[in-house]
Amino acid sequence: MPRILDVGCGPTKYPGSIGLDMNPSTAADVLCHLDRGGLPFRDNSFDHLRAEHIIEHVADIIATMEEFHRVTKPGGTIFIATPHYTDYSSFRDPTHRWHLNTYSFLYFYPGGMHGRDMWYTKVRMREVKLNLRLLNLWRTLGFEFLVNRSRFFRQFWEHYLSFVIRGKLMEFTFEVIK
Amino acid sequence: MSPQPRILDVGCGRKKYPGSIGIDMSPAGQANVLCDWTRTPFADSTFDEVRLIHMIEEVDDIFCVLAEVHRVAKPNARVVIMTPHYTDHASYCSPAHRWHLSSFSLWFFSEKPAEYDYYAPAQFRERRVHVTLLRIWRALGFQFLVNHFRWFRKFWEYYLCFVIRGKTVEWELEVVK
Repeated sequence: MPRILDVGCGPTKYPGSIGLDMNPSTAADVLCHLDRGGLPFRDNSFDHLRAEHIIEHVADIIATMEEFHRVTKPGGTIFIATPHYTDYSSFRDPTHRWHLNTYSFLYFYPGGMHGRDMWYTKVRMREVKLNLRLLNLWRTLGFEFLVNRSRFFRQFWEHYLSFVIRGKLMEFTFEVIK
Repeated sequence: MSPQPRILDVGCGRKKYPGSIGIDMSPAGQANVLCDWTRTPFADSTFDEVRLIHMIEEVDDIFCVLAEVHRVAKPNARVVIMTPHYTDHASYCSPAHRWHLSSFSLWFFSEKPAEYDYYAPAQFRERRVHVTLLRIWRALGFQFLVNHFRWFRKFWEYYLCFVIRGKTVEWELEVVK
């Protein structure tokens, strides 16, 4: 059975996972505050780690990703869901510290910084999948299909269109490289 | 003959400014000194020029860093600051970017009302602000307008910049002591 960690599980823990949260009135199996020390697990403990609507809240994304990377096995996967910075939800919550786009995790990809590895972190992972969701209106008009289908169109959208044809949610799946 | 100007490159990374002393937090770059941005090991009024290129958007506290820059810079020293405009995708491309800034974000260091001294005692004079825009908008002449007329820059920041999006902002400040 794959070992799954649901970080910031809240009341709806991912089926079959170990739930971690800082709030005792959630479905958490482990209580832990991400900004106060690391995760209470050994290196390479999990096949899959999930962090849905968590990363935009933490004090330090790089330190948090280093912990996620540490506890996930080589070849294991990390799923991260977070708002696109052009969605109103990115700004409606006063505990959101970070406003991100579809390139925000290039920092951790091999060669992600203009062909070179980023030298401020040792975390390395590959983007296996990115699902970008747009508001209903834009989805109906076919823009969601285009941004997910074409890398070129997504780049054009990020540069020129995203304040009008606004983003909503980004769902990344990464493969851990060690 | 005047001596060589002393230049400090704060957050030099791997592209240290030629002839400067580089400081950074990572030994993997070209830094000469590894230190905290707010506690550098330099005496007061040491440098003729201080450069902060694509780094203030990452620091914990812009006020503290600019206070330290002010301390180590000589009177009338040149301070060059470059950062993404908050409407550019690059402002959101790094998980280390804490701050999303506009071309007026440093106004309280140069034209602040007296009560702001409480928050930002470091005083600078704004010598030049230069904004770059994406290629299409540059080709259509908007970059020229934004940089040549302050009123147009203000109009652009208020009304246009979510459509005619910015790219980078560069300030040239002068240290007032």
